[in-house]
Amino acid sequence: MDVLFALSVIKESMPKLVSSVDTSYGDIRIFTSKENIIDFARFLKDDSRLQLNMLSDLFAVDYPKKSERIEIIYNFYSTKNNFRVFAKTKSKIDEPNYPSLTPLYNSANWFEREVYDMFGLKFKGHPDLKRILNPDDWEGHPLLKDYPLRQRPPVEKMNFDTPGYIELDEITQKP
Amino acid sequence: MFEYKDFLIEVDKFPLNVGPSHPATHGVLRVLVQLDGETVVYAEPIIGYLHTSMEKYAEFKTYHQAETITDRMDYVSAASNNLGYILAVEKLCGVKAPKRAEYIRVILAEFTRISSHLVWLGTHAVDIGALTEFLYCFRERELILDIIESVTGARMTPSFYRVGGLAMDIHKDFVDKARSFIKIFPDKVDEYEALLTKNKIWLERTKNLGVISAEDAIDFALTGPSLRGSGLKYDVRKANPYSSYEDFEFDIPVGDTGDVYDRYLVRMKEMRQSIKIIGQAIENIPEGEYLSYDEYPQYVIPPKKRALTTMEGMISLFKYGMDGIKPPKGEAYQAIENPRGELGFYLVSDGSAFPYRMRVRPPSFCNISALCKMTKGHLLADLIAIMGSVDILLGEVDR
Repeated sequence: MDVLFALSVIKESMPKLVSSVDTSYGDIRIFTSKENIIDFARFLKDDSRLQLNMLSDLFAVDYPKKSERIEIIYNFYSTKNNFRVFAKTKSKIDEPNYPSLTPLYNSANWFEREVYDMFGLKFKGHPDLKRILNPDDWEGHPLLKDYPLRQRPPVEKMNFDTPGYIELDEITQKP
Repeated sequence: MFEYKDFLIEVDKFPLNVGPSHPATHGVLRVLVQLDGETVVYAEPIIGYLHTSMEKYAEFKTYHQAETITDRMDYVSAASNNLGYILAVEKLCGVKAPKRAEYIRVILAEFTRISSHLVWLGTHAVDIGALTEFLYCFRERELILDIIESVTGARMTPSFYRVGGLAMDIHKDFVDKARSFIKIFPDKVDEYEALLTKNKIWLERTKNLGVISAEDAIDFALTGPSLRGSGLKYDVRKANPYSSYEDFEFDIPVGDTGDVYDRYLVRMKEMRQSIKIIGQAIENIPEGEYLSYDEYPQYVIPPKKRALTTMEGMISLFKYGMDGIKPPKGEAYQAIENPRGELGFYLVSDGSAFPYRMRVRPPSFCNISALCKMTKGHLLADLIAIMGSVDILLGEVDR
């Protein structure tokens, strides 16, 4: 199935959610808003013509000069129909109501933790939002453009007493 | 003084840290396990011990320098990672490599797939107790590394590809070595399988273990052999062919139940298919240039001979080294089939010589996130077998 067919289906059924479309380099990128992303993702997943059942990737790009500086890019893939749709939203870093996609896709869990770790965007409704790649006591969010490439805290400020292990009570997500 | 009750522990919620420095984690993965007796109730992988922020580093390198970061990411299958990155840059620039270069890229990528699967098989078998397998696997891996070294000059980190082709042409020695390897390797796979496939201990340790259904696997965004073991026939090489994969005939092996044994079988069959692809590619390498310098002089490095003998070549090599390449503004995504799954590179260019953002879609990262789902209700000893069977590489999980 063709990606352009997918685009026409989305535009036909959900005209309100699509603000603009970019079709360069053979992929389709659909701009939508953060309020609508849950509805949009649910439509992509449930529509019988699209069936985008895999959230293949979720990441962010930082544009510090814009007022809503974080651009979040979702990469949906359909294993049945074999095409890919990118959805894009914009947000401020300290946006309190940015919705999480974890109720729809399990893979969003770790991806959203990574976006939080690297960009500082807090997802509302995420079950276990904590840092994933950096240590828990890390300051700053490394992939922001204003974070310097090489910077280390002075040795006096480093905490060498922090134990490497956490106790079981610290697991927020209980089985 | 201690009393007797001080030594009592609650058996039904006993926490245990596996790793970060544990021989079966193949790197520095830490799994926080909650045990009930010896049964795993909950296992949470905690990653980040090998984090070096490669995505951040890439923003400070030119497009070709950033290639050297990608092969340190997944150091066991470096040529595959380079391929994904270079294809993404080529897509951004609108460059197409000549057919000869594409075939050689395929040969190197498939050789790395075999060598990566051999490392996986050896270590996975050691984890479960079959110690002999390791020695056999590393014997053949050494041959592959020799072949890769003879053409790229490096065993583990080749960085051999350039935008629009390769760094050098191949030579006759490489073709001879590859041909003799193709001749001997199918028998070697039989040797590995003779030790394991029908071995009763192996079957008992791997059958019906770590089962994940196809729906769950898709939900967790698993790709590669971990997904195909669950019975879904998804392979980027067939679904969206890149780098002339549509020219070759090969099958995609799939499992049916999605347990550890199925993932093992899928990888063993994949090695045979890879040898088939290399055989077809090496016999049909087209003649011609190995760099498409004539078509896209602003993006492609001149071949060494022309750079050293002609004035235009010299100037363009100098410009290329000083300024780098400047792809037009835009965003491109390219996915390839890594030995571990779908590896994607999303590049954002702002028109300068440095990538504005390089996003890696890491296959191992997604595969390990399903560990809790796979291990629930199994014994602690089986956790090691399951962890081995999803074939993670921490360099790529943490990036």
